[in-house]
Amino acid sequence: MKILKRIFREDFPYLLAFPGIIWQLFFLYIPLLIILIFSFRNYSEGSGFVGWTFSHYSKILKPIYISVTLNSFILASLTSLLCLFIGYPVAYFLAFRVKKLKMLFLFLLVLPSWTNIIVEVYAWFFLLEKRGLISRILYSLKIISDPIHMVNNSFAVLLGMVYCFLPFMILPIYIILDKMDRRLFEASADLGGSKFHTIKNVVLPLSYPGIFTGFLLVFVPSFGEFAVPALLGGAKKAYWGTVIVDKFLLLRDWETGFALASIGIMFLIVFFVFAKILFFVLRKVFKKYKSL
Amino acid sequence: MKKIKIENVSKSFNGELILDNLSLEIPSGKFFTLLGPSGCGKTTLLRLIGGFEAVDSGRIYLGNEDITYLPVFQRRVNTVFQQYALFPHLSVFENVAYGLRVKKFKESEIKSKVMHMLSLVRLSGHEFKNIANLSGGQQQRVALARAIVNEPDVLLLDEPLAALDFNLREQMLIELLDLQHNFGTTFVYVTHDQAEALTVADGIAIFNQNGRIEQLGTPKDIYEFPASRFVAMFVGNTNIIEGILHVSGLDFELEVENLGNFLVHSPSKKSWFISGRRIFMSLRPEKIFISKKEKEGFSNHLVGKVVNIVYQGRFTQYQVKLKNGKLFTVFEQNEEHFPQEDIRVSEKVHLYFQKENVVLLER
Repeated sequence: MKILKRIFREDFPYLLAFPGIIWQLFFLYIPLLIILIFSFRNYSEGSGFVGWTFSHYSKILKPIYISVTLNSFILASLTSLLCLFIGYPVAYFLAFRVKKLKMLFLFLLVLPSWTNIIVEVYAWFFLLEKRGLISRILYSLKIISDPIHMVNNSFAVLLGMVYCFLPFMILPIYIILDKMDRRLFEASADLGGSKFHTIKNVVLPLSYPGIFTGFLLVFVPSFGEFAVPALLGGAKKAYWGTVIVDKFLLLRDWETGFALASIGIMFLIVFFVFAKILFFVLRKVFKKYKSL
Repeated sequence: MKKIKIENVSKSFNGELILDNLSLEIPSGKFFTLLGPSGCGKTTLLRLIGGFEAVDSGRIYLGNEDITYLPVFQRRVNTVFQQYALFPHLSVFENVAYGLRVKKFKESEIKSKVMHMLSLVRLSGHEFKNIANLSGGQQQRVALARAIVNEPDVLLLDEPLAALDFNLREQMLIELLDLQHNFGTTFVYVTHDQAEALTVADGIAIFNQNGRIEQLGTPKDIYEFPASRFVAMFVGNTNIIEGILHVSGLDFELEVENLGNFLVHSPSKKSWFISGRRIFMSLRPEKIFISKKEKEGFSNHLVGKVVNIVYQGRFTQYQVKLKNGKLFTVFEQNEEHFPQEDIRVSEKVHLYFQKENVVLLER
């Protein structure tokens, strides 16, 4: 009885974490493990499971998949960078300039994400297509002589991606900036730092954690994104996500799909570990150089 | 090393008047303290001098230069902030070097200046530590070094010791004094702690509400000759008695109801020294002699009953109830292990004080 009491009184907060941990375990890590295991499974239509093999991996060691990886990597990089350059000033504005209507602005920011991503992307399609709003306006204003078709190209894909992922960059940066100690800016100004100097040497370095989180939240899903490239890119370029979807839904080649998915996850992990190490080393070197 | 002149400065926040037409001259090269209760506008004045807030009206001069509308980063003034506001992402060295880097000093010069400064505040060997790994006192020293290394004309200190514990505070006060003497910089020190102010200041300005300066002077002036009842009560302990004045030359008599007449003396004559006027008299607790025996040679004598006794180490504090019901506080220096008289609670005692040790205050 005593022990039960103790558990309930002192360990209750930790008990509350259990459903979350179990959820994470069963619906995230175990499926990931299944993906990994199945990617080594040798399976044939007639006889079912016949053993383990690396053949699915050797199947995807083709130049086409390297270019697919490259496409996705470039798209994810550009999306993250654009989101950063567009999102940082927005977060800055929200955190430091908006005084009274902060909640309203934040609400407006996440409002589009409340609709399904497919709907959002279709909206862009109707804006950008030949008979779409933008083309019509430009045509009626006589800026263009023929209606232009602005979808089914890399530009439209990038536009759609930035549109979908922008809030995920803005929010973590906004949170960091919003709770940043304002007295540090006063201290910087007091020591002779202009506004620009203060932003460069105090605000920006202190918002690195937010930038890193934002980068993670944008880069990872946009690397595997399939809806936006499929809807706005036509079928011109293959991306990691679209290829995997095709493997599963169109070609019914599940094992290759599993292998692709596993490689993708490993690629992302290696990429981020590498980026983090690089970041750390650069900062160490930079710090040392500056002080000596 | 410049003086500061504040001319008719007013400032209000959200319609609330904080500083009302304040004028003040802070002499150069001195340790000057702005002392007052919280909410009196002393920090606001400091922030106006630093440039963090803009005046509503009036002028601020640094030396002969009008700096009223000069932006913060162009003022030759540095601040030590209340919570230090050290840059958490920079090392100790880089924090101190910040101002020098802004001013584009040569790398070798930055290094020698910062190292010298860190040795002055006894932080050598801590150059590459993170701010978060320093103790409160060490952070305080970094904040000081970061400001002074820029060799400002004026150093502003906003309750810099408020976050430190008592012993450390005493030690830091002495270090602050040393730094001020070494550099000769004008220090403007804001505090609500009267003991701190008395310890360090060359000059003190006592603030009351709305930035009204009640008295300006040396610590000794202010303690021994407070100019108003507010000052007398805010700086140190005192006993205030109300009575009717009877004038004859520079020696007066104060008639107090139900207590008797007292001889009092003032070194100078004031315009309100008029017979028949109701005034206050302030008497510091340590200027009263307490005894169970009858003594000779004192101008004034009172009788009372001890209500409580608090032993304070250096001195013992007695609360004595007078015959008109008023409580008097008396400090007796603990000069010996075993005092000659053993005074206990509820015993009858005699209080003696000299007429010269009384301060007369306008009511």
